[in-house]
Amino acid sequence: MKPTGFIRKAMRRAASLSFAALATMLSAQAHEVQAADPIKIGVTLAMSPPGSVIQGTQLRDGLSIALKMINDQGGVLGRPVELIYEDTQGIPEKARAAAEKLITKDGVVAITGEHQSSSGLAAIEVAHRYHIPYLNSNAWSDAIRSKGYPEVFNPGNYNTRVALAVAEVMANLKLKRIVAIAEKTDYGIGLAELIRDLLKERSPGTEYSYITVDRAGKDFLPVILPLRANPPDAIVQLLLPPAAYIMINQLHEQGVAPSNKTWLYEASGVADYPDFWKNVQDAAKGMLTFGLYHPEMPLLPLGKSVAAAYQAGTNRPLNRLMFQGADSLFLIVEAIKTAGSTKPDAMIAALQKTEWVGTRGTVTFSNEKGFKFQQWLNVPYVTLQVTKVNQPIDEMQLVQGPGKPLDPAKLTKAK
Amino acid sequence: MLVADLVINGLIIGFLYALMAIGLSLIFGVLRIVNFAHGEFYMVGAYAYSLITLSSGISPWFALPLAFLAGSLVGLVSERLLVRPLYAGYANWGFMRDEYAVIVTFGLSLLLISLADKIIGPFSYRGPTLLPPSRIELGPFLLNGNRLLAAALGIAILAIAVGFVRYSYWGKQIQAVAQNRLGASLAGANVNVVSSLVFAISGGLAALAGALLAPFIAATPDVGLFPAVKSYVIVVLGGLGSIPGSIVASLLLGVVESLAAVYISYDYRDTFGLVVLIVVLLFRPQGLFGQKGREV
Repeated sequence: MKPTGFIRKAMRRAASLSFAALATMLSAQAHEVQAADPIKIGVTLAMSPPGSVIQGTQLRDGLSIALKMINDQGGVLGRPVELIYEDTQGIPEKARAAAEKLITKDGVVAITGEHQSSSGLAAIEVAHRYHIPYLNSNAWSDAIRSKGYPEVFNPGNYNTRVALAVAEVMANLKLKRIVAIAEKTDYGIGLAELIRDLLKERSPGTEYSYITVDRAGKDFLPVILPLRANPPDAIVQLLLPPAAYIMINQLHEQGVAPSNKTWLYEASGVADYPDFWKNVQDAAKGMLTFGLYHPEMPLLPLGKSVAAAYQAGTNRPLNRLMFQGADSLFLIVEAIKTAGSTKPDAMIAALQKTEWVGTRGTVTFSNEKGFKFQQWLNVPYVTLQVTKVNQPIDEMQLVQGPGKPLDPAKLTKAK
Repeated sequence: MLVADLVINGLIIGFLYALMAIGLSLIFGVLRIVNFAHGEFYMVGAYAYSLITLSSGISPWFALPLAFLAGSLVGLVSERLLVRPLYAGYANWGFMRDEYAVIVTFGLSLLLISLADKIIGPFSYRGPTLLPPSRIELGPFLLNGNRLLAAALGIAILAIAVGFVRYSYWGKQIQAVAQNRLGASLAGANVNVVSSLVFAISGGLAALAGALLAPFIAATPDVGLFPAVKSYVIVVLGGLGSIPGSIVASLLLGVVESLAAVYISYDYRDTFGLVVLIVVLLFRPQGLFGQKGREV
């Protein structure tokens, strides 16, 4: 028997209602899937040579700790955070390609992690072109800041800060002749030139020159032997590992520095790297070093949590790159929270107004032009002197404490 | 005084270059192929020396022969698995033989670098010096004791290697195969064993060079790049297949680089050897000690 008109209408109404209910249910599920999609953040690091892998590893440690802490608290805006890593090998072309891939293919909302200035200078062009926030974790070159790109924020150290520290020490020691040995990169040459300019102001009677070497070099004797023939009063080392370790060893091996004639100042802050003593052994005794972490620096509550998580996971001493890595990710997440959105303009505006209590201090970004642009200016630092082989950071002689002037009475010439 | 210092240091590094390059010269002289993985045999030795001494605490003097053995083993396995097909079906290879050798040894180089990077890690490892740090005064010259010792050991090892090839039973077999593989085979030489021996010796010598230099140039996955490039220059400069030529070329390269880096430019240090190579080849295409030949 065929259904009557009334029944057909009722059946059609029931079918429509069912379809509507099904559609609503499916779209609600789809909406739930989108809301749970992770927020992707890109990380560019050197994870293989010729880049500084030890730096990349330490930054990655800090990023991993911060990621876990963030996701354990539910992520941000109800969504988990996901880090997507790209290995730049410390090569600018690869850094540029990595940034391009992270933005266009992976759809990241921000990029962080970079620690080599030449790579950073290449990658920020991509971030600027696509208007994506870029947190420069540890690339020191002032040129990165001076570009004035609104997307680029710098919570890490910068060359002018190091140059000031070096110039202060050298001026205090009242030295006649200083030679800097710099790697042939934007970081090395940039810092060597800044030191020159600052020494002209603070110690006009000091003769200063710098030599550039290939960061992939293995034998620096042709540079060192002339220094042995005519020793300067101080050598400032502006290299990253592994070249930094080779240079320190060969300077010691040839009896050039540290010696009773020549100070050795290591300005790259490598003394807290986990492989430092394995590679340098007795060559570093008497060396002065620029440091960005020391137990005398106050660690804020977040810093203590990060430190505890790091020491629980590894048996390595604390180091500044780990804290810098963590701070970079926390800052991005803080910006997303403040902006209530992952849209670039909103995140950038939030970052510009940041006043965030990080692991080692309250981070704010300056809006002054030049090397101070969107830079955290008050990055804490210390100057240390190594007095024993295999000496951990906290036992090194603190010749300049955080926020304090240099104490020349604590300096000891090598024998 | 500086000139004399640079010459002496150039000679010291030259002897170590010779140790790196002699194995490559041997492979080309006997097997007529260029081994693009030679730098990685050096890397194996540097790592073996550094890791054995750092992890076990044994004397570095015991680590040296172990590094030699590690390099020899890698050489032997490489030859057996990758290079032997080149002359197993010798007559059939024709024009593809050299291309095969380039591709397979280049691939081996990339494989060894990647394995070192992934298994050991990308960090540098500096092996301990053979003696406590010391400086030796020889008249007006101040020399690093450990570098001098490394060079002296390099000379001794080179002398043993040359003596082995020239006077020993297996050395004479190597010479026979180098002259004519087919003829040597017909005369009863076991050409496959000779080929394996050549690769083993080459790997071992390069590894020893890596071990001797490990206290000065820490082991990293890419540490073999610089000795590889130097070795190719030396082997061609000295004359392909000539061991005395490789030794003389090594010393020449060491001294030229040392002097030119200071008196001309450190930035172009690695190019001076290439300039010398070009100049020599313009006047002696067969290299310093090579022999002109013609194949029909």
